[in-house]
Amino acid sequence: MADTVLTVAVPSKGRLKEQADDLFEKAGLGLHKTGHERGYTGAFDAFDDVEVAFLSASEIVHHLRAGRVHLGITGEDLVRETIPDVDACVSFEVPLGFGRADVVVAVPDCWIDVSGMADLEDVAAQFARAHGRRLRVATKYFNLTRRFFAKHNVSGYRIVGSVGATEGTPAAGTAELIVDITTTGTTLRANHLKVLDDGLILSSQAHLLGAKEADWSGAAEARRNEIVAKLKAAL
Amino acid sequence: MAAESAINFEALEAQAGTLVETFKIAGYEQVAPAILQPADIFLDQIGEALRSRTYVFTDLTGEELCLRPDLTVPVSRLYLERHPKADREARYCYNGPAFRFQPGGRSRVRPREFRQAGIESFGVTDRDAADVEMVLLATAAVQQAGLRDFSLRFGDIGLFFALIEKLEIPERWRRKLGHYFWRPSAFHALLRRLSRGERPEAESPIAGFARTLDLGDTARAEEQVERYLADNDLPLLGNRSLSEITNSLLDFAADLEAPPLAKEIATVIDYYLAVSGSPEECVGRIAMIARGAGLDLDDSLDRLIRRFDSFRENGLELSGATFASDFGRNLEYYSGLVFQIEVPALEDGSQIAGGGRYDGLLKALGAPDDLPAIGCAIHTERLLAAVEAMD
Repeated sequence: MADTVLTVAVPSKGRLKEQADDLFEKAGLGLHKTGHERGYTGAFDAFDDVEVAFLSASEIVHHLRAGRVHLGITGEDLVRETIPDVDACVSFEVPLGFGRADVVVAVPDCWIDVSGMADLEDVAAQFARAHGRRLRVATKYFNLTRRFFAKHNVSGYRIVGSVGATEGTPAAGTAELIVDITTTGTTLRANHLKVLDDGLILSSQAHLLGAKEADWSGAAEARRNEIVAKLKAAL
Repeated sequence: MAAESAINFEALEAQAGTLVETFKIAGYEQVAPAILQPADIFLDQIGEALRSRTYVFTDLTGEELCLRPDLTVPVSRLYLERHPKADREARYCYNGPAFRFQPGGRSRVRPREFRQAGIESFGVTDRDAADVEMVLLATAAVQQAGLRDFSLRFGDIGLFFALIEKLEIPERWRRKLGHYFWRPSAFHALLRRLSRGERPEAESPIAGFARTLDLGDTARAEEQVERYLADNDLPLLGNRSLSEITNSLLDFAADLEAPPLAKEIATVIDYYLAVSGSPEECVGRIAMIARGAGLDLDDSLDRLIRRFDSFRENGLELSGATFASDFGRNLEYYSGLVFQIEVPALEDGSQIAGGGRYDGLLKALGAPDDLPAIGCAIHTERLLAAVEAMD
C-alpha cells in the first residue's frame, strides 16, 4: 500500500454508519475494513493511499476541528453545536441527503398564548414575576440554543442539560420548554409539545465535511476532489 | 508553569492589601464567600449570556456547580445565610478569585482566572446616602491603589422606571418597556411596533379566540381558556398555570383593540434615552424633556442632582464624568444608580471597576422582600495594568 495522503472519518455505528456504507457502495468506492474485523480502520478499493477511520459521530467533529482527519461524515447539527467558529474550521463539501433532522424550539401546546420566539420573551418576563426564576430550556444543544435565542432577543431563560427523553421534561416539570431534534414531529405531538412558528434552528442532515486545518499538500486535494465527485454522482 | 493567578502575584497581593484596608477602615467587614457555587441558584440570576462564560461542571454526586464568575451573588447569598430575614444593615468587602471563559482568548486584561475586590452594602434604607458612600469609597480605593487619571460614567435605571411610570400607557406596555431596557435593538423595535399600532398576530388562529375573552373579568376569562384547552385536547402541563396563560392572552387581546402608542409618548421615550453628556447637561435636558411632556419627574431628578452635589462636596472630581440615560451595565438585576470607573487609554480592558444598585436581587435569592443593596467590584488585574501604564 502506498503512503497515506488523506484520511476520511466515517461513523462507526448506528443508522448513520449504515447509510454511509450504502452511499460508499453506490459510489463504487469499495469501503472495507483493514486489519481484524473488530478494528477501527478501513480503506477504499478505489484508492491505495486513502485511509478510513471509523469513529463516533462526535469524535469525528473533534478530529475535523483539529485537522487530524481530512474529510469526515457527520451531522450538521453536531458540527454547528460543537465548533464555535464553524466556517474557519470546516468546509461543507457534500450534503448527503440522509440523517435528516430539524433542531427546533418546542413549547407545551397548552401555551396557546405563544406562537413565536417574540412571545417567548414576554412569557419569560411573566414567568420570572410569577415564579422568581427564569424559564428553563432542556436541551443538549447548548450553543445552538444560545445563538438562536440571542438572535431573537430572548434572554430570560436558562439551559438545563438533557441527554435523553428531552421531550418529557416539560410534563415532568424539570423544564418549561425544549430544544431538540425532530424528524416527523410525532414524538413532540405525543408529548403535547408544539414547534414555534419561527422555531426552526437548523434543518440538519449528514454532510461530507473537509477539515481546513488538515495537511492538504501533495495528492490530498486531488483525492478529495475524486471522492467528492464520486459521492455527488452517487446521490 | 505557574498558575494563572500567580502572574504578578506579589504586586496583586500588595494592591489587594491596600484596597481591602481602605474598605475595612470605612467600616466594611471582610468576607470570603465560597468559590464553588451551586450552579442552579447562581445561573437563574445571571442568565445564559454570562453562563456561556461560566465554568459549570457536575461533581461525583451529580450536583451541578460552578466556579463563581462574579462575587456579588456569592456575597449576597452569604448575607442571606447570616440574616435569613434580611432585616439587618451589613457592609462587606472582599478580595478573591473569580473565573470567566474568554471566548476571544486570554490576555492580561482578560484573564480567565482573575481577582475581584469589592464592596457590597445591604439594608441601608437611606438609598441616596448609600449610593454616594459607594461611589466615593470605590473611587477612593482605586486612588489609594495608585490610579490617578480615570473617568466616571453614570446611569440611573431608577430614573427610566420613574419616567415610564408617569407615562399614560397601559401597565402591560410599561412592563414590556422596562423588561427590554437592557436590549436597545429589541427595545426600539418594540417602541416602533407599539407606536405604529402593528399587530403582527392579529390574523393568527388564536386571535379569534382571544377576541371572545371577557377583558374585564379575569375569573371568567380563565374559565373560557380552561374550556378552550379541554375542547382542543390541550392538557395543561408544566409549570405555567392557567392564570398565567390567561393573563398573557388578555394582554394580547387588549393589544388587538388598543390604539397605537401616542407619537408624543414614543418621542419622549426616544429623546430621554438619547440623553448623554456631562451630568449637568443631562439633568438639564431631562428636566426640559419632562417639562415639555408635562411629566412630573421632580423627585427623581432632585435625587439625581443631590447625589451629584454630594459627590462634589466630598471632593470627587466630576469634570470628565459622563451620564447616559440608556446606560445599564448590561445586567438586568440593576435597579437604580449604576457607575463605572474607566481608563479609556487602556482600550480593551478600560473598565476598571463597576457597580450599581440592585434592590431586587436579594428577594430573588430568597429574601422575604426587596432589600436596598448596592455594590461595586474592581477588576484588580486591570487596575494593576492601568497603574503600571501610568508610571
